[in-house]
Amino acid sequence: MSTLHLVRQSAFATNDFAQCLSVLDHQDSIVLMDDGCYNLKHALMDSLIKRIDDTISIHIIASHAKARAIESTTTIKHIEMTDVVELTFNHSKVITWQ
Amino acid sequence: MTSTNKQAKAIVQQESGLAIINSKAPFSSTHGKDALDIALIFGSFEQKVSLFFQGDGVYQLIDNQDGTLLSIKDYLKTFSAFEFYDIEDIYICQQSLANRQLGEDFHISDVQVLASIEFSAALNRHQHILRF
Repeated sequence: MSTLHLVRQSAFATNDFAQCLSVLDHQDSIVLMDDGCYNLKHALMDSLIKRIDDTISIHIIASHAKARAIESTTTIKHIEMTDVVELTFNHSKVITWQ
Repeated sequence: MTSTNKQAKAIVQQESGLAIINSKAPFSSTHGKDALDIALIFGSFEQKVSLFFQGDGVYQLIDNQDGTLLSIKDYLKTFSAFEFYDIEDIYICQQSLANRQLGEDFHISDVQVLASIEFSAALNRHQHILRF
């Protein structure tokens, strides 16, 4: 019973990302999209990367990050919107944080 | 009225223009575009306008952004027209930049990065404030 988390808000402006991380479970995946891309530089992301194991994966929509001049990092997988379709099939539930 | 009071009043009147606070990231809402439109309209009518960038609003100024990747008309490029509208007072909150691990690489020049105290002092000099 894994969950796909679609994070669409900046953690600097809303509490959504913190709430997402509070319910994050093993086998879950996170996709940073739209203003969620800004969370790459948030302190919450540092704590998440420390917590991360082989079962949790983090993705970012490459075009959304590039439009916002956000630099890429190696720990996070760069994907496109078409890849999100496949992710939704690989998880039993989806939560959109917006 | 004492001379000090007169001086103080003169300073207040001198700075009594419109302040526009930008507090939203550029691409996920129309707030940034709306604030820009208002600023340029006031500029067209030779009204004094100052721009303040605070919170996620500082993302509007970061260099190397490209809204066309998101199929959005890139209104940020219009920021370079500010000097033609005599919009010269552009203030950026230093704390907001630091929180977001952003450097001072902006796509427009002649901006002022201010610490919290100076930022609030600059804002409080204005008679009218709009926040987007």
